[in-house]
Amino acid sequence: MAVTLSANYSKKLGLPGFSSHFFSVSVEVELTDLSQVQAECAKLYQLLQQSVDKEIKQVGFVPDEFFGIDAIGQGQDTQQGGPHQQHQNGNGSHRNGCSQGHHKGSDGHSRSSNGNSDSWNCTDGQRGFILRIVNENNIDKQEVEDLSQQLYQLGVKHLNKMQASQLIEELLAKAGKPSGRTRWSQPRNQQQPS
Amino acid sequence: MNSLLAAIPPREKIQSIEKPETKPPSEAETIAGLQKIVSSSRLGTFLQCRLKFYYRYVAQIKKAKTAALFLGNAVHETLKAWNKTRWKENRLLSLKELHDEFSRAWEEQSKEEPVNWEGEEEAEKLTGWRLLETYMRQYGLYLAIKPEAVEVPIEADLGNHGLPKLVGVLDLVQQRRVVDYKTSGTTPKEEQSAHTHEVQTCTYAVLYREANGQRELGIELHSLVKLKNPKLSIIELPPMSDSQETRLFHLMEAYVEGLERKDFVPSPGFGCMSCEFFDNCRRWS
Ligand code: SF4
Repeated sequence: MAVTLSANYSKKLGLPGFSSHFFSVSVEVELTDLSQVQAECAKLYQLLQQSVDKEIKQVGFVPDEFFGIDAIGQGQDTQQGGPHQQHQNGNGSHRNGCSQGHHKGSDGHSRSSNGNSDSWNCTDGQRGFILRIVNENNIDKQEVEDLSQQLYQLGVKHLNKMQASQLIEELLAKAGKPSGRTRWSQPRNQQQPS
Repeated sequence: MNSLLAAIPPREKIQSIEKPETKPPSEAETIAGLQKIVSSSRLGTFLQCRLKFYYRYVAQIKKAKTAALFLGNAVHETLKAWNKTRWKENRLLSLKELHDEFSRAWEEQSKEEPVNWEGEEEAEKLTGWRLLETYMRQYGLYLAIKPEAVEVPIEADLGNHGLPKLVGVLDLVQQRRVVDYKTSGTTPKEEQSAHTHEVQTCTYAVLYREANGQRELGIELHSLVKLKNPKLSIIELPPMSDSQETRLFHLMEAYVEGLERKDFVPSPGFGCMSCEFFDNCRRWS
């Protein structure tokens, strides 16, 4: 009677910036009888562990502390490109904040809600406003990212238009500034549209 | 040295450079601004009475805040704090904390703009608090339901439709439903409310869709009714239909065209009973 031995070796490693990555290898071997199990297990364990250890050293893309808002105060349209596609798991993994793949912003630009990590999901106007509030009020970039995660479990760049608007309100309140809606009011107007 | 000193403008001039005098916009400029940005309250007022719209938004005649508006604002502010806490701190405010929030909101408003209460302030304040208590008791909210937005301002550029920018503030969004808080003196009826609040609910639907790239699942009107025994009325409306959206866009078109024509005639009717410009209106010709 043939005996099938299945072996699996997995390893998860923590990475900086609350990220982690994980690699798992499985093999199946056929044995002629049960007396081979112990020796085969030892052999497989060693083999799989060595294989996983060798590969898991390649950490691929690891987000830095500014991931999600790394355009703040820098060139906003720089491309980082693809290495993050190797990123497999953990808190740094990409989430999609919009229920559909593309959202057309009010400026008419079609935005990808996944894929390129440097494109913002909200409108250009909102992106500029967020950057301006952060810069003018010396708000810690990580604080902004944390707030975004707290509210939506999403990075700043992945917020859709409504979520970005909420974040702007929170940032304005933090900076002791009036709500963003005041920009709609007319110069002499006491009433605000509601 | 003398010529250097001469080059330095006197202090008054420096001040005038630092703070240039701002001229109030002309009526034409104000109207042009109103044509570019519209909210449901602007649109609603225009549709209700164009003269009232003129007094409020073009001439910007300031009237004292009514007790009802004051109370409504304080209730809104308190519900905002309640929603923010259950969202950001993952807990429900205790009744004591809620009462503190309400008192704070009341005081903040009093500082901004006092109201002539005619000795009724304490009674009104108690009414407001009883409304909130009723809301907490009757609206069994699970902590597990998280807001998606609280008092969030949204803009929708409707330039593609040849319309102005639509703006508004969503009181609460959760489970893809837009919730609007109201305080009222009478119990609203479902069918009537769907019609009388259509401009507002459709505006919210357009804003929600624009900001989220998806349709809302529904709109809820949460009315806190100021009866002897306060009451909560929740009216659940379906998502905006295509024909409702078309109606809204037609109304917006009429708004822009009306402003273009400076069509600010009065519309005497039942609405005049609560109009703050009644006296101004009587003098209109
Ligand atoms: S009193 Fe009536 S007609 Fe006159 S402005 Fe007010 S709502 Fe319009």
